[in-house]
Amino acid sequence: MNRNFVILAIISVLVLGMLIFAKSATHGASGAATGVGGGAPDFALNTPDGKTLHLSDFRGKAVVLNFWATWCGPCKIEMPWFVDLQKKYESQGLQIIGVAMDDSSKEDIEKFAKEMSVNYPIVIGTEKTADTYGGLPALPTTLYIDRDGKVVDRVIGLRGRAEIEQTIQKILATKPATP
Amino acid sequence: MRIQANMKFRFHIASLVIALVALAGAYAHAQSPSVAFSAPAAVTLQAGKTGNLVLPFRVANGFHINSHKPHEDYLIPTELKLEPPSTVMVSKVDYPDGKDSSFPFAPDEKLSVYSGDFSVAVQVHALPKTPAGKYLLKGVLHFQACDNRACYPPKNTPVEFEVSVVPSSGTH
Repeated sequence: MNRNFVILAIISVLVLGMLIFAKSATHGASGAATGVGGGAPDFALNTPDGKTLHLSDFRGKAVVLNFWATWCGPCKIEMPWFVDLQKKYESQGLQIIGVAMDDSSKEDIEKFAKEMSVNYPIVIGTEKTADTYGGLPALPTTLYIDRDGKVVDRVIGLRGRAEIEQTIQKILATKPATP
Repeated sequence: MRIQANMKFRFHIASLVIALVALAGAYAHAQSPSVAFSAPAAVTLQAGKTGNLVLPFRVANGFHINSHKPHEDYLIPTELKLEPPSTVMVSKVDYPDGKDSSFPFAPDEKLSVYSGDFSVAVQVHALPKTPAGKYLLKGVLHFQACDNRACYPPKNTPVEFEVSVVPSSGTH
């Protein structure tokens, strides 16, 4: 019987492990792998027109870092929402940044962003940057960073506009760290 | 009594194992999409002739991939990319039409996609002086998959199939 209990315990641990993995695969999880709860790593990425943009340029703002690609249908759906939300919350300190993660030319990325009437900066992402944010198993992947530079949530895949807005309100409500 | 308790315990263990397998499936699904290829039986043709072959693929449950001719030019088409031709080559590739489908992320839009099982028909040709023998043709199926909420980076599924060349009837 003792042996049976050992088997049961092992299976239970495996099941629990699978549940935790399955959850973290689609939503923000805690720990270093995704960076949720920790400081958002700084980056230096170029805009399609060659300017360099650092995450630290937006210190004190609530930042939404949206990883997307031109070939990603769900990304295209949420872009107009981000355009509206940037307009709505800009005066309160919101900064959305789009990180393009595809092999299209800079011109194509710029053209796509223009067609989508994007009103926030777009930068060209790199694998290295993606890795520092826990890797990108799928797109869109969106990170919500509070005014203190802490990653509050990491969402893989499309979520509803209301859920996005709620998370934005949450990061806007934070206070920047006092120097 | 003891035997009955043991049987009951084993039943619980079996249930847990089934749950674990189901969760593993869900986890694998959450991780990444896949397109499986099943190598067809070798096609036999005479040197200097052509033959036809059907390459069967299966898109993992819950995912779809763009067809060879997606409606939007920003979408990545599914494409069979083969190694450079030798004396035995693929002379024609026929892709199936995509199925026009709507997805929760774009309910008003029709996307041309493959899901579940689909096949790509290829025509193979052996040059007239091809020595008799078995030839392995290699390549990849290049695709970009999405599920109902997210899209995954483009991937390649290795493709390999055999062509058996026999001497032409005119050869002595």
